[in-house]
Amino acid sequence: MLFHELILSVMKFLNFERTVSSPYHLIKGKKSGQTIQDVGYYRLHPFFSVLPKLEKPVYDQAVNELYTKGYLLENEEYIHLTEKALQWKPPSYNLDGWKYRGNEQIFFKRLSLIIQTLSHVHQREKTFDPVQNSEEIQLWTRSYLQRIDFRQAEVYARFKHEVELSLAKLPIGDQQKLILTLRLSGFGVSGLTWEQISSLTDLNPMDAQLQMVETLHIWMDSLNAIEQPLLVGLLADLVQVSSLTDSAQRTLKLFSQGYSLQQIAELRKLQTSTIEDHFVELAMNDPHFNYLPFVGEELLKSIQTISSSQGTKRLRDIKIKVPDASYFQIRLSLAMKGDSQ
Amino acid sequence: MNLQELLYSSYGYTSFRPGQEEIIEQVLKGRDVIALLPTGMGKSMCYQLPARLLKGSVLIVSPLLSLMQDQVAQLKKMGEKSVVAINSFATPQEKAEIWRSLHNFRFIFVSPEMLMQPFVKKQLQNLDISLVVADEAHCISQWGFDFRPDYLRIAEILPLLGNPQILALTATATAKVTEEIKSYLEIDEPFLYVHPMDRENIVYDRKKFEDPRDKIRWLLDFVGKYQGPGIIYAGTRKKSEELSSLLREQGISSSHYHGGMEHQDRIFVQQQFQNGELEWVCSTNAFGMGVHISNIRHVIHFHLPTSVEGYVQEVGRAGRDGEPALATLLHSPGDEGLMASMVLDDLPTRHEIEEVYRQGDAQDQLVSNGIVRETAYRVLSYWRTRLPMEGTIAQINMLQQQKMIQIEKMNRLVTTEGCIRKFIIECFDQELFDLPENCCLNHGIIYQEFHLRTQSASSTLKQSWQERLNALMPR
Repeated sequence: MLFHELILSVMKFLNFERTVSSPYHLIKGKKSGQTIQDVGYYRLHPFFSVLPKLEKPVYDQAVNELYTKGYLLENEEYIHLTEKALQWKPPSYNLDGWKYRGNEQIFFKRLSLIIQTLSHVHQREKTFDPVQNSEEIQLWTRSYLQRIDFRQAEVYARFKHEVELSLAKLPIGDQQKLILTLRLSGFGVSGLTWEQISSLTDLNPMDAQLQMVETLHIWMDSLNAIEQPLLVGLLADLVQVSSLTDSAQRTLKLFSQGYSLQQIAELRKLQTSTIEDHFVELAMNDPHFNYLPFVGEELLKSIQTISSSQGTKRLRDIKIKVPDASYFQIRLSLAMKGDSQ
Repeated sequence: MNLQELLYSSYGYTSFRPGQEEIIEQVLKGRDVIALLPTGMGKSMCYQLPARLLKGSVLIVSPLLSLMQDQVAQLKKMGEKSVVAINSFATPQEKAEIWRSLHNFRFIFVSPEMLMQPFVKKQLQNLDISLVVADEAHCISQWGFDFRPDYLRIAEILPLLGNPQILALTATATAKVTEEIKSYLEIDEPFLYVHPMDRENIVYDRKKFEDPRDKIRWLLDFVGKYQGPGIIYAGTRKKSEELSSLLREQGISSSHYHGGMEHQDRIFVQQQFQNGELEWVCSTNAFGMGVHISNIRHVIHFHLPTSVEGYVQEVGRAGRDGEPALATLLHSPGDEGLMASMVLDDLPTRHEIEEVYRQGDAQDQLVSNGIVRETAYRVLSYWRTRLPMEGTIAQINMLQQQKMIQIEKMNRLVTTEGCIRKFIIECFDQELFDLPENCCLNHGIIYQEFHLRTQSASSTLKQSWQERLNALMPR
């Protein structure tokens, strides 16, 4: 998947519903209530947080190209796709952003430091400048290497074998695999910058970066303890067990201890609106969420019906039709609707 | 065991580099020391070796984060395991771990900002610190080119630590700056070691162009003729990218380097340069720290640097191996004006001063809202707590006058018809008695000493991912 394809894919879900900059927050993985809710409402899980370091000007430039190429119409409030964009079929992709949340970068940093170390040690070179200078990555890697007894020639061969075999199996093109290996370094072999990769592959630097994320997601997904006992160790602490944000998990804990929404807000010294965001997140993720303390059965039904019949998830439009409902109740009801749609 | 033996048994070196032994001897005698050693002369050894003999820990205050990271990496590379850096990049877990075991570390690096946090102060107070190292001590000078207001606060922590012994290190300081270091750190009778600033294997050249476009023509001709490795310093990020792609079009391996690049990409450029895969790096002044390559033959300044001190630092990255290296300064009409405006641009404006005083404690917003620039804010937030507004305005006016002197010096570097080497050395209040044979533009340059290009045009190999993996991890 290329960068503009990513943006366009997200926009197709959000046409007439959200602003042109909302895909930016989603792709970057902003942890705000709005973005998290949109992930659930519009089922954008694959795209969440796939490019955490994306800069606004880079995004804006790509959006401008969508205008000039006739995919997007000027509209101050909402994403307004053209017929051409609506006809356009997104390519198949292997992203799983909601699951990895940028942690694929940690996986890769670990891998690159491990390979750099193995490469030097195997060729009898004792000192080198580590390619990763985060203390955390270095400490983790050091203890991992000691655990696998990395000085053994046999371990070296097995590690390489695991990388080679598991990469070979991935159902993606060779160029995509090459990009990943070009970002690795070893004794006498340096990694390549995105720009250098770009001139080698004829991909934009941004496209190359996205392809790398995709490779990492599908690769990490494929690893298992039986076939890749060494590589699987690199996944430690990286895969989100609960799909809730940490903060929402704390709210859930207090709620299950019997505290009310108000009390939780006071206890945690947070805005009520933030706690409301957490409940919406809970509603979205838990099919058995008990909504009754917040919204009555009847109100819930009427909000969901309006949303379906009008074909909208815009809060303001629904509020006009159901003036009795608070925005929180509307958001909650829409979140409940989520996957049963 | 004498110092030589200790040096050999600890690090495997058979001899000290000039100055190191004198400085270490004085440190071990318990004296405060101010040492001026050019970069690349092994400054860190001056506290590294004493640390093996001193009872307590060594606290190193380092004003630049990237420099701190580099020093920590270098110490670890030399086999020192007992090293820790306290900076804002550490995660909460890392920090908790650091505090728990702080007393175990022989080398503790800290940034001036961290030093001022009450919690950090308290942690440090509980330690037995034998030596405080003020690294890059010239940053203390508010008149210097590299002023860091936070650095002045080192003096505030010394009493809390029981006034330990001090070692102030810098690669660049005039006599005036040395005096300032003395007075701020309250060092009465330091042992002062001043290494001669002159690097005799560096040859100073200068090229004047009437038409700015001729600069590029000259540059392309030059890199086609002479063998690197070399650094080309440009004034802007954009220019560094532009020059680098021009070089590549000529079939010469080159990459740009600047602070706007992703961190990992910057490391890759350093790796490639170090591995000899890149012949030239076109960069802003962000390149240099953490680059430990001894055989750099050329440093070319495509634009005028903003100070003689900065120039000397950048040029000083060449020829660490002692072999001849050429420093070439390019200029064309208009460059001086550009340089002057860049120097003065840093100064807080009247408007910024007023805003900072008006906002009181809500000042953080000023930077994020773009009302006050970060560089200006750094300086003003220091003075705000110490002077009324009029006082600060007077300070900034004085600073402006200093900046004018700085500009004037740079202009003279460009125009002087006397010996360029002598001119530079005199900027540091030192004298030069012997000139090398291959000296500078105005004393004649023996270009034959610089090797002509033999490397054929680089070609990028098309590789499969399996071949790449085999190169990374050969059998």
